[in-house]
Amino acid sequence: MRAIAFMALFAAGGAWALDAGAPLPALAAPSLDNPARQVSLASMRGDVVYVDFWASWCGPCRQSMPLLDGFQKRFGARGLRVIGVNKDVSAADAQRFLRSVPVGFTLVQDAGDALARAFDVKAMPSGYLADRHGVVRYVHRGFNAQSEAALEREITALLEEKP
Amino acid sequence: MRTLVLVAALLAAGCTHVAPYERGYLARPAMALEESQGMAHAMEKIYPSKEAASGGAAVGGGGCGCN
Repeated sequence: MRAIAFMALFAAGGAWALDAGAPLPALAAPSLDNPARQVSLASMRGDVVYVDFWASWCGPCRQSMPLLDGFQKRFGARGLRVIGVNKDVSAADAQRFLRSVPVGFTLVQDAGDALARAFDVKAMPSGYLADRHGVVRYVHRGFNAQSEAALEREITALLEEKP
Repeated sequence: MRTLVLVAALLAAGCTHVAPYERGYLARPAMALEESQGMAHAMEKIYPSKEAASGGAAVGGGGCGCN
């Protein structure tokens, strides 16, 4: 009895995580610059979607954001949709970051943590690459020098898959 | 015994797991243990010699502050 109670204290953390093979959560979130506009992940079925969780206080995001912007510019016409989910405490922090690192892809806010919880984000930044059927195929936790090449390879492979 | 377990469980409920995406407040400069990295390093060097102690953070000297 005592042992069970003790173990239950640690079990609360949970070990579940959204990994390759899982469906992309069909959620919607308000746009970062226009909260009245909802961006729905479900409506992007048919496109290759990369959902990236970022924040101004996240060091590696300073590297990953311009690279993701480059991917959106290069592969957007072929059907890539990059969605940046902002995890800043205040929108002003996000806007300050975006002034020094401007990006052109879709940005959404996640004030209630609904998206972060649905994806069970384990690291910052975290990126989830889903194919045209809405199935998560690759997960990137953290971002380093190798991530860019790997991500480019994965994106081009998924874009070439026929829906 | 059962009361003890209950009290321990209640106390543990006060601890919370901060998810990686919830670290916005913790990442603020005011939340750092040291205000300035350089100053912290300098203090770490000076303190043992002021106290005439050796060992600790760095090898101390005899109080002259010269090592």
